[in-house]
Amino acid sequence: MLKVENVTKYYGDFKAVDNLSFEVQDGEIFGLLGVNGAGKTTTFRMIIGLLEKNEGIITLNGEKIDYTKTDQIGFLTEERSLLTKLTVKEQVIYYGILKGLDEKTILERLDYWLARFHISDYKEKKIKELSKGNQQKIQFITAIINEPKLLILDEPFSGLDPINVSQFMEVIKELKKKKTSIIFSSHRMEHVEMFCEKLVILVHGKSVLNGSLKEIKKSYQKKNIHVKAEAQKEQFEKLKGVVSVEQNAEEMIIKVDSEDYIPKVFEEVKKCQNVTEFRVEDPTLNEIFLDKVGVVYEN
Amino acid sequence: MKTKLKFLIKQSLDKKMKTKWFKVANILIAICIIGIANIDRIITLFGGDFEEKREIVVLDQLGKYDIFEQSFHNIATSVEEMKNFEIKKSNDSLDKITKELNQDNDQIIIVLKQDPNEYITTEMISFDPVDTITYQLVLTALNQVKSSIVLETSGLSANEIMSLTSPVNILKTVTNEEAKNAESKDMISSGLILVFIVPFFFLITMLTQMIGAEINDEKSTRGMEIIISNVSPKIHFISKITASTLFVLIQGLLLIVYSIAAYVIRGLLSATGVISVSGEIAETFSSIWNTVVETGILELLLKGLPFILILFIVSFLLYAILAGVLASMTTSIEDYQQLQTPLMIILLVGYYIAIMASQFDGAIFVKIVSYIPMLSFLVAPVIYMLGQTALWELGLSTIISIGFCILFFYYGLRIYKVGILNYSSSKLWKKIFKSMHQKN
Repeated sequence: MLKVENVTKYYGDFKAVDNLSFEVQDGEIFGLLGVNGAGKTTTFRMIIGLLEKNEGIITLNGEKIDYTKTDQIGFLTEERSLLTKLTVKEQVIYYGILKGLDEKTILERLDYWLARFHISDYKEKKIKELSKGNQQKIQFITAIINEPKLLILDEPFSGLDPINVSQFMEVIKELKKKKTSIIFSSHRMEHVEMFCEKLVILVHGKSVLNGSLKEIKKSYQKKNIHVKAEAQKEQFEKLKGVVSVEQNAEEMIIKVDSEDYIPKVFEEVKKCQNVTEFRVEDPTLNEIFLDKVGVVYEN
Repeated sequence: MKTKLKFLIKQSLDKKMKTKWFKVANILIAICIIGIANIDRIITLFGGDFEEKREIVVLDQLGKYDIFEQSFHNIATSVEEMKNFEIKKSNDSLDKITKELNQDNDQIIIVLKQDPNEYITTEMISFDPVDTITYQLVLTALNQVKSSIVLETSGLSANEIMSLTSPVNILKTVTNEEAKNAESKDMISSGLILVFIVPFFFLITMLTQMIGAEINDEKSTRGMEIIISNVSPKIHFISKITASTLFVLIQGLLLIVYSIAAYVIRGLLSATGVISVSGEIAETFSSIWNTVVETGILELLLKGLPFILILFIVSFLLYAILAGVLASMTTSIEDYQQLQTPLMIILLVGYYIAIMASQFDGAIFVKIVSYIPMLSFLVAPVIYMLGQTALWELGLSTIISIGFCILFFYYGLRIYKVGILNYSSSKLWKKIFKSMHQKN
């Protein structure tokens, strides 16, 4: 289990991470979200020991993370961290041995993962000869070659097409089943929403939302009402508690401030003709994220 | 961690040596060294106009042709350039043989005439200008003809003529025992500068460039973050310093091998054949060896060798540490190359002082420089071999360098730790000075 407790990091006078706390249980997928410069990468760097924290404690299974523990951690950086002059085989051996593995084990695992990602032919190719997507696959393989207990993925889906994203997700879910704690960041909320159980949203290094995705959505007051009927936008916009109304070809989406306003909207819908659908949904994570980030920025 | 350190050193060495460019570069270096050492033999091997026999036609109005021919042949046996000349006497008229001169018939006509005052006067006629060496050698042969005429007409004996014309002999005696064989020592020491110092200059340039390129490569690809998340900056730093130093030591050994090969090939290219080559090599080595033993250089070298070797290795490490620290501070190879320039200037200063050391015997400045780390490895061994400093002074230079090496590593590591994960050049010096106060 990864435990981050009251961690603060300063760059000079600038507070990059502000009293951040969260836990990632074994076999749990945890999302660290935030806009650029929110402090995600700094947090990852502190976990892995690349940066010294000014305050707080970070432990893995109750022990401080140092160079005796890093063999149990896999790390995928946001930017390419491959040595482009090496071949795929040399690169994976290089990082694998730094993770304390022997060459035989590395090669066995490499063959498995290359086959799994359908890139076995690239084993002897130089990294620089590979496409961006394939380089990302190799980078991912180097992060999981040591079968880590904690896997840190900084923007893992960057540069990947939807097919490859789904391949990555499949592997991540498998690792979760093997009780690997996974912590990752992404700008793509749909990816986070798809398989993230817990998350933290960072704004200017400070946690503005922290908890399980279900609870966050449940506790979030605003709701979306999907209506299919012969209706005009204006008749809903004037209602109290309605934040916005979006009309598209198929349906109308009415956003309300809280559950309390749903009955009033329902009453208004009843007045319309040809009503075929009235559905209340929790907002998307993207909406919650934008709302939270926006609120803080406005302050 | 030891396994990881070993792996990083091996990886770094493989990266430098198991490349086709290392092989190509070494083939080119070997070809260049062998080529430069044998350039005269190579020119001869391909042939050219210099192989054609050039005729010297003598019109003898003096009756001294035989003496001229004999003198000329005597010189020809000792002077390489004269071996391609053929000398003959002509009974044709001067006009006739002069008219026959042209591009294809490039003879040198020598007319020997009697002179009432100077005993002999000559005329030299050729189609193209005669080069200086040929002119001087013909002049030497003619002077011998003149001496012979003088001998005949003056009534002096041959010994008297010889005594008159021979140069004054100076017998040199030096009473200072320590300064005996100083000339030979200077000669050998100057040779040492060329043989040892120049390759070291070349190797250190290579060392600093290599470290800079490797660290910047890892930094620019962000591979550094993965590496440093698995091994400490200290291990990483040690691996870079060790691998680069080992690499230049191996490259240095290869340069020695190429030099030996160049010398052997020089012998093989000689017209005298392989058997006499071994004789020629043995003779040369024997001559050098005798000089080295007689002048006491061998004794000095054997006594000082452990210090000299340690000093060289420690100096390599010093440059490697400094280059590593500078590379960690930069974010691109271009930035690093700019920072590398002062290092090269330091190296040049040491090089020139080492070369000038023999001209300034006992200079306090040179002695002081011989204690300064990064310069001492060039200066201290040279002035020690010249007999300007004692063994303990060479030892002191070595100890000072070791001390600085430890100090450089201690403080360099602090900068390195901060530098390798720093990707911004803003407030760089502030960050560096701040890092100096952080504990390792």
